[in-house]
Amino acid sequence: MAICTVSTSHSLHSTCYISAPTRTTAHLGFHQRQVIFYTGGRRSARRGGIVPSVVTCAAGGANTVVIGLAADSGCGKSTFMRRLTSVFGGAAEPPRGGNPDSNTLISDTTTVICLDDYHSLDRTGRKEKGVTALDPAANNFDLMYEQVKALKDGIAVEKPIYNHVTGLLDPPELIKPPKILVIEGLHPMFDPRVRDILDFSIYLDISNEVKFAWKIQRDMAERGHSLESIKASIEARKPDFDAYIDPQKQYADAVIEVLPTQLIPDDNEGKVLRVKLVMKEGVKYFSPVYLFDDGSTISWIPCGRKLTCSYPGIKFAYGPDTYFGKEVSVLEMDGQFDRLDELIYVESHLSNLSTKFYGEVTQQMLKHADFPGSNNGTGLFQTIVGLKIRDLYEQIVAEKAATPLEAAKA
Amino acid sequence: MATTLAGVSVSTARAAPAAGATRPVTTPRAAFPLVRFPRRAGSRLAFARAAATGPATPSNISDKVSESIKAAEEACAGDPVSGECVAAWDEVEELSAAASHARDKLKGSDPLENYCKDNPEADECRTYED
Repeated sequence: MAICTVSTSHSLHSTCYISAPTRTTAHLGFHQRQVIFYTGGRRSARRGGIVPSVVTCAAGGANTVVIGLAADSGCGKSTFMRRLTSVFGGAAEPPRGGNPDSNTLISDTTTVICLDDYHSLDRTGRKEKGVTALDPAANNFDLMYEQVKALKDGIAVEKPIYNHVTGLLDPPELIKPPKILVIEGLHPMFDPRVRDILDFSIYLDISNEVKFAWKIQRDMAERGHSLESIKASIEARKPDFDAYIDPQKQYADAVIEVLPTQLIPDDNEGKVLRVKLVMKEGVKYFSPVYLFDDGSTISWIPCGRKLTCSYPGIKFAYGPDTYFGKEVSVLEMDGQFDRLDELIYVESHLSNLSTKFYGEVTQQMLKHADFPGSNNGTGLFQTIVGLKIRDLYEQIVAEKAATPLEAAKA
Repeated sequence: MATTLAGVSVSTARAAPAAGATRPVTTPRAAFPLVRFPRRAGSRLAFARAAATGPATPSNISDKVSESIKAAEEACAGDPVSGECVAAWDEVEELSAAASHARDKLKGSDPLENYCKDNPEADECRTYED
């Protein structure tokens, strides 16, 4: 940690920032100042209302690890976030005493912000202009970049709140720089400036068949909804989804693809899923998980003499591949776990999981057995990606801690 | 570990909020369990998800969802690819997602659970392993 106080500021080597993110707060029209001094992790803030100007001293420069999670609405981002924050320990909860409709989740280590908060057009504005929330024209990427960059550099921001119930932009909330910042939403990898400051990025790629099945499950009981309305909504949004959301997957370090099963011929119920974890090779601090032998091509049916599975069974595949012209490793699971011993058996055959103890994947899956997807590849791969992100974070922190020591020795 | 919900697929009617008089009294929550329940007898693993039942959507959001669907159907009657039509269906998606999140929030708001979060040592919060 930095030893950074006002009295010793002369001894600091360029780890203090003075920044005036004017656009950050311009929409508020205030001109009062807030100064935040970081004192070795603790923060004494003199609040004068808003944050047009901030002085920050942080340990060795940037100290927040930023993760991007992209997916369409209703495709499991919330569940993924709950699994991810659980891997880091401690439950993520909305900010205390804040706007009850805030989209932010905060735990000891992690803050999750929803990128819908950067809508530049509210619901009425989008209706008037005839654009969807998927359209970049409805989003303020300048403000998104400024605020994510500020948080990465250890500077608190006043982030707007998009209220999903009223469709209006509510007064902003103060977001302090966390150890890990997750930005989740429709466009975390759309703007190249935002994309470049991500330490790791994930795309949840839900096939059309599964998306339809999930939305039926979510909406069918809702008054006014019917199969026709669910279908109409998906189809109306599809051109914008294809144009602005889907292309982001080429930039992701990890993609979780959710497809219908191939274990049941002509299955279109969407009950059994085939899930692929596409992991980019050569990403710093991230080494892909593998099955049996790194880099080989493997097809594995764990059910047999040693392990009995019920219909339709479980099938794994692993191997190298290319994804948008880049080298990747792909791990695939088709089918679902019905019993604990199946999960443990599978975990014991996977390598490079970044677990801290034997059985940690199984433990995490059991802890959240009530979450959607806990018995199939979506839960398994989300948990694995959570463990890889914890490992990435720990490597970055360890490297930062080592750097000043080396500098002092030299 | 919780007891296993072996082979159960329930479709229980959710109580509808006491809002307008013209509305039906109950809204059945359709059973579309994507997650198959464990079939094996004696399984201790509660992988099952009690997806079939859950709290009802708060009436203010529920009203907005049904109104937005009507508005979208009207907006698309003339031109099914117009910006107006697409934006209207996008609003339906946004409100449907908000309704789902609101139900999830209610699911987690058991008064005893909330009390026990702050007072884990209290008698009524003790749990027993068998």
